[in-house]
Amino acid sequence: MAACVIAAALGNAAFGLSAASAPARHRSVRSFDVAFKEFKLKNGLRVILAEDHSAPTYSICVTYNVGSRDERPGRTGFAHLFEHMLFQGSANVGKGEHLILVQNNGGSANGTTSADRTNYFETLPANQLELGIFLEADRMRSPSITQANFDNQRLTVQEERRQSYDNRPYGRTYETVIDTAYDNFAYKHSTIGSMDDLNAATVEDAAAFFRSYYAPNNAVLSLAGDFKSETALALIKKYFESIAAQPPPPALDVNEPAQKAERRRTIEDAFAQAPRIDIVYKIPPGNTADWYALAMLGQVLSSGVSSRLYQKLVKEKELALGVSAGPDERRGPSLFWFTINARPGTDLAALEKLLYEEVARVQNEAVADADLDKVRMQLKRQRAQQRYSSRSRANTLGHYAVYYDDPQLINSVWRKYEQVTKADLQRAARAYFSESNRTVVTTLPKPGAGRGGGEPKAR
Amino acid sequence: MMRSGGLGKLARRLCLLVFSALLARPCALAAQESAETPPSKVERKNRAPAAREMLRVKIPKPIEAKLKNGLTLLILEDHRAPSVSVQLHIGGAGALFEPAALAGLAGTAAQMLREGTRSRTSIQIAEEVDRLGATLGAGSSFGSPDAVLRASGLSDNFDAWFGLAAEIWLNPNFPADELEKLKQRQRAQLRQQRSAANFLVNERFNRAVYGEHPAATVSATPESIDAITREALVGWHRERYRPQNAILGIAGDVRAADVIGKLQKWLTGWQKSDLKEVWPHAPVAAAARQIFLVDRPGSVQATVALGNIAIDRRSRDYIPMVVMNHVIGGGAMGRLFLNLREEKGYTYGVYSNFTALRYPGPWQAGGNMRTEVTAGALVEFFNEIRRIREEKVPAAELAASKRAIAARFALSLEQPAAILGLAIARKQYDLAADYWDHYPAKIMAVSADEVQRVARKYLSPDAMQLVAVGDANKLKDVLAQYGAVEVFDGAGRPVRAGTQPN
Repeated sequence: MAACVIAAALGNAAFGLSAASAPARHRSVRSFDVAFKEFKLKNGLRVILAEDHSAPTYSICVTYNVGSRDERPGRTGFAHLFEHMLFQGSANVGKGEHLILVQNNGGSANGTTSADRTNYFETLPANQLELGIFLEADRMRSPSITQANFDNQRLTVQEERRQSYDNRPYGRTYETVIDTAYDNFAYKHSTIGSMDDLNAATVEDAAAFFRSYYAPNNAVLSLAGDFKSETALALIKKYFESIAAQPPPPALDVNEPAQKAERRRTIEDAFAQAPRIDIVYKIPPGNTADWYALAMLGQVLSSGVSSRLYQKLVKEKELALGVSAGPDERRGPSLFWFTINARPGTDLAALEKLLYEEVARVQNEAVADADLDKVRMQLKRQRAQQRYSSRSRANTLGHYAVYYDDPQLINSVWRKYEQVTKADLQRAARAYFSESNRTVVTTLPKPGAGRGGGEPKAR
Repeated sequence: MMRSGGLGKLARRLCLLVFSALLARPCALAAQESAETPPSKVERKNRAPAAREMLRVKIPKPIEAKLKNGLTLLILEDHRAPSVSVQLHIGGAGALFEPAALAGLAGTAAQMLREGTRSRTSIQIAEEVDRLGATLGAGSSFGSPDAVLRASGLSDNFDAWFGLAAEIWLNPNFPADELEKLKQRQRAQLRQQRSAANFLVNERFNRAVYGEHPAATVSATPESIDAITREALVGWHRERYRPQNAILGIAGDVRAADVIGKLQKWLTGWQKSDLKEVWPHAPVAAAARQIFLVDRPGSVQATVALGNIAIDRRSRDYIPMVVMNHVIGGGAMGRLFLNLREEKGYTYGVYSNFTALRYPGPWQAGGNMRTEVTAGALVEFFNEIRRIREEKVPAAELAASKRAIAARFALSLEQPAAILGLAIARKQYDLAADYWDHYPAKIMAVSADEVQRVARKYLSPDAMQLVAVGDANKLKDVLAQYGAVEVFDGAGRPVRAGTQPN
């Protein structure tokens, strides 16, 4: 596989030298900005500290530069299964004790896996600074990867798959869309993975995966909230700095060949009571000018009751129960999704045609200034609310550092949205919303659904 | 999981898998499977450097006022961010009080508020809300005594969006054409919701525990939607949207004195009446075990709920119930989670919770588990219930649970809306002004005897109402181990004994 997008980005980073000083930002009372400092430990661990005393709490987040895109064929679901293993104890923490310790001390914790990264985070009262740092360091250093725990979490993850996908309406739709739209294995398969691959995973795979990806030089540690930066940094050095660096993980190519023709698929769903249409277009990665334009366009089209698609499809024509539009954000080729929940009995061809008429409208006419202003107001509000949650700040810093090697995006991303113009929207709509760049998946209620029907068919 | 750094709704598209379910219901197992699986035991090493002291925090108190029309006002000034959130709880306007034949009336009235006023149409309201970057929402969940109206937005244009919210709350005109459109959407949603196992389990469980109490209802019906007319909505609003039973809470970047002054203008004409909340007879715990099975063909999991009516919010047993519930089913340190997930691998998560409002609600446990392990899971649910009834909680486990509840208060200080929520609860349930100041100490004072006492009183295995949703052909014999099983289909209709579920 080709150039390691991720490692290259981190290695060449402006902050890759060592202890970069804080961006010189003066935080006035009304400023929305998140002030933070950056450091790099000797073992390559990137540390971001956003000290802020607005509440007696703090959040810690470790974002590992590994996601389901790094999996190989036959091992889908492995990155997420491994995430579960990091709650199964380590040299100084018993199985299950991590969450018990966090909860006992008034905190909350979780971990999530996406195609592009894996993160782990805790929010705790401010007097438990050392606890959070210790827990994250201990599992980065010495997770308990035993056969018994691995088998236990395999079962748990398989239940998660059943609960979140196999036993609910439209649970297979997402996987069908990405499987149809993507050609490159990296994004073609789901993060939850297949039952067969989960069954095939071994504890030896887990040990190898840990060595490759869970190294300090492949992670970002971000803290936000009520602590003194010097104290936090000293504790971070105490617990993390002796964890050995590892060779960079294998390189990865997430590029997609250009799509030549529309792709269509229809699936039957044992639980759905009404049809759903997903229409996706391949678009550039996140944090590109076109991606921001498409994000704004998605908001114009479907955010709020006054949005065009809601008014047209739900209110005026009464063909849909709901509609959404917007891009997913990936480090590689992303997808712009239109999802329409149709009313039972709706003429789906007519509904799809109506959607294309709205797409043509944004390609042929500039949107109104007022439409763009509405979206800008919503963004202003989201930015203001970022102030409240220390978890959201810590996780966002880790997100931008791992995705784009640029944690300062926590502040500058808002300018990127603001700079999008009407002409950008129209240009992006023309560039990407073409028939040949499109994938359409229709999910139909299985005949007799709600009364009959067996296991969803394996594809 | 959402990222705050971008457009929230876009972030939703990320395929993120969350390690532990936030909430779920249901359960399961098979003996031969556990034999094949080597033990995976929860273990405490007690080596982590946790501070022994619990961080003591003082929960800020909002400013309280009563307006001349009887409205209770709570304002929490919080200037950390230039945003404001508002919630208006109108007691007496909730679904609890609606006639059974008009199930959904209270919720429909609340949803219709933004569909038109004397001076604005539905689309004009939508345009204005979105132009201001505000959010307006309203609803009344089934069983709730209140209609809850929410609004939020930036503080820069607070006057504009609050004024608009007040207009739609007080002067809606319920246009007939918009009502027809809403009812069409509701009819489709009624059908849609039956595809979710969680809906089916709640429908049957609430019916089982609440019996004749109106909280037994969890949904409108096609017939009740047909019966809801514009006149019924207008009458409901005129009669029930009254200030004397209402609490208006405002949290965020406002000045209380400034807001109180302006409220007189915004809420002008909102007059009190002599309407009082007339409470239905309180539900009582079922005396005998009942077992219900809802057939959901194609299910690969069983979705299980079991429980019984316990207490109301003002009960003297509330504090020990909080602790008891936390020990058995509170999150990732609850006994149910540790046993059924971390040791047995039956489930992604099982939890318990209890509902305590102005009237008694159920304690319940549950979750989702693959069909094949349902028998084993039920054994463990009942084992844990038996254990907490028959054995005193060990001192260390009890201390840890109490600490988890009390120490967590610090986290609520991040969100002004959470702090405001505590004050609103205090008002709704007539709790003392210093209730939250003493709450942690009361939690810490709960003894193992008290935990055992409330477990014995409210978690009676012989009176449990047990509901499972899933593949009836596979589950019926499993459930029959616990008594006679009543089977229902996905439409909520009983399936007669002896006939095959279809």
